Amino acid sequence: MSGIANAEVEIRDRRLKSIISFQGKASELQEYSEQLKKPDKDRCFSQCSDCAQGCAATVCYNVRGAAVVVHSPMGCFANTPQIHEQIKNSAAGRGVEAFKAQIICGNISEKETIYGGLKKLREAIETAQERFHPSAVFIQSSCAAGIVGDDIESLADEMAQELGIPIIPVFCEGFKSKIWSSGFDAAYHGLLRKVVRKPEKKQEDLVNIFNFLGSDTFTPILKKLGLRPNYLVPLADIDTIARMSEAACSTQICETLGTYIVDVLEKEYGVPKIHAPAPYGIDWTDQWYREVARVTGRSEMAEQLIRDEHERIRPELEELKKDLSGKKVYIYAGDSYAHNMASLVTDLGMEICGITTLHHDMRTDGKDVKKSTLNEMIRVAGDVENFTVCNKQPYEVIKLIRRTSPDFMIVRHMNMTILGGKLGIPCLLEGEINISAGYDGLLLMGRRIRDLLKAKGILSTLKEYNTFPYTDWWMEQEEEYI
Amino acid sequence: MDDQRSRAESFLKNRKGIEKMAEIRQIAIYGKGGIGKSTTTQNLTAGLVELGKKVMVVGCDPKADSTRLLLGGLAQKTVLDTIRDEGEDIELDKIMREGFGGTRCVESGGPEPGVGCAGRGIITSINMLENLGAYTDDLDYVFYDVLGDVVCGGFAMPIREGKAKEIYIVASGEMMALYAANNIAKGIQRYARTGGVRLGGIICNSRNVDRELDLLRAFAKELGTQLLYFVPRDNIVQRAEINKKTVIEYKPDSSQAQEYRNLAQAVIDNTKFDIPTPMTQERLEEILMEFGLMADDYNI
Repeated sequence: MSGIANAEVEIRDRRLKSIISFQGKASELQEYSEQLKKPDKDRCFSQCSDCAQGCAATVCYNVRGAAVVVHSPMGCFANTPQIHEQIKNSAAGRGVEAFKAQIICGNISEKETIYGGLKKLREAIETAQERFHPSAVFIQSSCAAGIVGDDIESLADEMAQELGIPIIPVFCEGFKSKIWSSGFDAAYHGLLRKVVRKPEKKQEDLVNIFNFLGSDTFTPILKKLGLRPNYLVPLADIDTIARMSEAACSTQICETLGTYIVDVLEKEYGVPKIHAPAPYGIDWTDQWYREVARVTGRSEMAEQLIRDEHERIRPELEELKKDLSGKKVYIYAGDSYAHNMASLVTDLGMEICGITTLHHDMRTDGKDVKKSTLNEMIRVAGDVENFTVCNKQPYEVIKLIRRTSPDFMIVRHMNMTILGGKLGIPCLLEGEINISAGYDGLLLMGRRIRDLLKAKGILSTLKEYNTFPYTDWWMEQEEEYI
Repeated sequence: MDDQRSRAESFLKNRKGIEKMAEIRQIAIYGKGGIGKSTTTQNLTAGLVELGKKVMVVGCDPKADSTRLLLGGLAQKTVLDTIRDEGEDIELDKIMREGFGGTRCVESGGPEPGVGCAGRGIITSINMLENLGAYTDDLDYVFYDVLGDVVCGGFAMPIREGKAKEIYIVASGEMMALYAANNIAKGIQRYARTGGVRLGGIICNSRNVDRELDLLRAFAKELGTQLLYFVPRDNIVQRAEINKKTVIEYKPDSSQAQEYRNLAQAVIDNTKFDIPTPMTQERLEEILMEFGLMADDYNI
């Protein structure tokens, strides 16, 4: 039972028993996950946080031809304008036409928190319709709307009838979950309920790739098996999203991103999900190719392909390893994607001195916990002694990184490059994920790291002139978090 | 510049108003829905007015019927409706009407049933009253007549820091009324820990149930408070209500009018203010059992 009939998807805290604090070995966290037991100590102090609405926005804002009504006070909407630049750049990387994001904020005020915000929401949807003539309208809920209890679902159904387009409620109120990735699920849930249709036909060579705004690297990857990628959801249009049920199988660039939707697609529409980790690093890419080939009836092609590809990349890989072998790397990224990175750097012969993930899903939707990306990471990279789960808190991260003194860091988020810079450590910003996929992704990663290490000199000067606001007392404490 | 100065002056004037509020006896009336809070509050107010007291009644119920008997009908436009229709830049006389004996009447109002958040509405309108300087030096009493149970933070607004320090719970000998009263006492206890809010007593609005007076006395004692006054049941209250009047205005010579005058005097004279000691559900049921309310000897 996927619970797709319910207006809201259960938050990750309850559904996946996700956590935001852990300190220990990777293998210990895997043990906790297998027993579905929470680690003993919870974080009780947060220096900063993020909101599920942000994760929902990464799905909704980037749908071609759709509009988004953000049913919130203006503050929740404050970081939105950057989206235009992101779409422009990523459309170029994908090789598709750019478009302008179509977003309206209703700006809930004191009045709406008393009388209810549905009148204003209706006006905002009508304005979006007049201004953009969208193919669908997303409604992103907010804390204010959620507490007041606005019946967004009923209004959405009513207006879908009136306007003749899907109106998609996304219940991504920030207070509901400690895990901001719950926002991904909220947006997917809306799409699954209001947009995705039963398949009219099957497209046997089409593979759903759940990704962010990544470049088109999966066309060459899948072409080797005679398959095509169906990039979802960012940059896709509503019709493509509606027909995702026609695909031969579903996979993802990061398990945390796609866990919910690939599971529902399998259960509700019979689109098989790929039971292999994402194609990052040689072993994982081998596994992924084999599984995709098996599900699409191309198994005989896979083994030859894998042999050829290993042969093809070997010379350059050997060269890269000569330069990079033994370098110490710290990985700081979202759950699962950090595991992808660990798989990659292992193939480059590097030493992982620490990993921090922003949260950890103790289980994933409809999958054996023994097959988790964490366990797959331990299998290929070995146990990681310094493994932590921490939702961005700089007061902890600085200690973690100083203690391990890495040569460089791989980080998924912009803020960490600044922190790394202040610590005198070069950071590889893994903002674009798709480029690191497949065998060529591994080589590219090696080249990028080789270039990055040249920046060490300038950063050590920066470190000399930087002071952090934390007391010596805190820096000397054994405990990593409060 | 002049505009700035006048705004500053108005701000200072209002600040002064807030400081003076400590001298006004601000009283919140709570109790189960339908128990007669509004009726009791308005009749009590009429009694106080007769004794020359200056009173303001603030209705904290979206139904906006807390001042009906003082105003001779639902003649009041609520604070929230006024803000909605005319914006936030409003004058006090738009939201305050004068009722029986010079009583100042305000209704906070609220959204239609089933939408929005009535609690948030109360917070907004009480803040608005403060900012508009409604709490003037000449007031002796301010009453907050609050909807039913204390369902959320908004309904506790009248007893937060700097507002009502005195609370009376209207109850009767019916089980649910006492259950609600005990629950309300829990809310009061919470605010009493950090602020100066205290329970002044229980006012019984009689339903003529068996041994009601004894039960209410025992209940009040267990709750660490007193039965302030026992208002007997009399159909004249219904008639006065149909005529949109308090009993004191409708039939000043009636015995029920005298009861309300006595209640007013009891409030004036009251000096017993306690932090309540709410009881467990089991203990509450024991008391009810003791006074025969749950006895299984009912005969037709």
